[in-house]
Amino acid sequence: MIKQDPEPDIGSLETEMNRGFLHILVLALLEKDMYGYSMVKHIESLGYRVEENTLYPLLRRLEKNGWIASKWDLSEDRPRKFYAVTAKGRALRGSLLGIWRNQDRVLAKIEKENTNVQ
Amino acid sequence: MSNKLEAYLEEISHFLSGRAEREEILSEIRSHILEKATAEHGGTGDDAVDRAIAAYGAPRRVAERYAEDLPIIAPAYKRYLFRYTTLLFAVHAALTVFAVVFKKDFVIFPFLFMPKIGVIEALMYLPMAFLADLGLVVVVLYFVTQSGKEVKLPWPKIGVDLDELKPPKKAFWGRIGTAVGAVVMLAVTDIALYLFARYHTIFLYLTGGADPRPLLTPEAGRYLSLIVIAQLAVSTMTLLVKLFTRSPWVTIVSNVVSLGLIGLVLRQSFDGLFAITIPEKLMPMIKTNIKITLLVIALVVTYELVRDIVRLGRRKLAHERSSARRPSV
Repeated sequence: MIKQDPEPDIGSLETEMNRGFLHILVLALLEKDMYGYSMVKHIESLGYRVEENTLYPLLRRLEKNGWIASKWDLSEDRPRKFYAVTAKGRALRGSLLGIWRNQDRVLAKIEKENTNVQ
Repeated sequence: MSNKLEAYLEEISHFLSGRAEREEILSEIRSHILEKATAEHGGTGDDAVDRAIAAYGAPRRVAERYAEDLPIIAPAYKRYLFRYTTLLFAVHAALTVFAVVFKKDFVIFPFLFMPKIGVIEALMYLPMAFLADLGLVVVVLYFVTQSGKEVKLPWPKIGVDLDELKPPKKAFWGRIGTAVGAVVMLAVTDIALYLFARYHTIFLYLTGGADPRPLLTPEAGRYLSLIVIAQLAVSTMTLLVKLFTRSPWVTIVSNVVSLGLIGLVLRQSFDGLFAITIPEKLMPMIKTNIKITLLVIALVVTYELVRDIVRLGRRKLAHERSSARRPSV
């Protein structure tokens, strides 16, 4: 009897793929100052979803590497932490976008080849 | 301010302990939850905050997202965990045997002090020694990992990779062998039980007369007979269970029980053991031989026990690796 492969775990693969994508997404989004909650909502409005408890650790790591900067705004009733991309972050975003575009191009080419084979 | 929010942050704080930026992280989470509660649930009351907290996730999960991806032991060094533990334990076990047989202290300064110990103490000491060796290797590999350097750990090419031993596949004939073994062991156990019921001992010798005579004194004969019958029963049960399952726990439990039973035999004083007359000068030699035989059996059982535990540990690690889901970022 041929043993069937178990169902692929899309969830964990998606998590893997999201890793890099979320870096580019956040670096692109922070061209203008935003705070965490507003980023979550804005991403949702674009038809994507990022878990809240995923976003903040990512922001922390990006800031630790100097790719974004943050400051607390205490002018309103509720303190909000605003984030913005730095020059170093813009350079990184450029490189990451280059990689992503190349990957997209390669995949599109392979898809086209596959269509021709069929 | 909601008490529930503070309790939630307190729990996250507990799991974040040791992180310098803990307060900052908690402030970010607090700000986010209050923002969400107000925007989506109409305020910062307990109910609204509760719902925002539920969406944010369980405290431990939240705290784990902040963990850096640096593992306790780097994947490249994981195989050395069992390699080095096995090696260290082999040295430990050998020194234990020397300490018991030669009745001497052994010191490998500053790593090991092996005091002169008895057989029972040795049997109780070995599992502890294994855990201590495992702990020591973990600490060393932890520091190697945390150093972040490219350390090439030594390992002799001729070394037996205990961690690479695969559990033998039970073929058809293997199962037949187990079944035959179980039947034979069942018969032997039954014979032992029959002898014990009839003569109150299984240690008998045949004379020219009709009935066999007891080899040991009544008390020692009864005590040792019960232990041997228990061992036979355990072996029979193990073989029978092995017909239905390949779980390594069967052998592990069986070996633990066997070690305990061997320990019980060794507790027995060998003076005044025999019901028959044995020449005085032969007694020390007989006693030593019995002890050495039991010790060798105990060592073999201990080796099997450690090997099965290592296999189980390796399998668990492999399973965890394959089923572990990484954090989102």
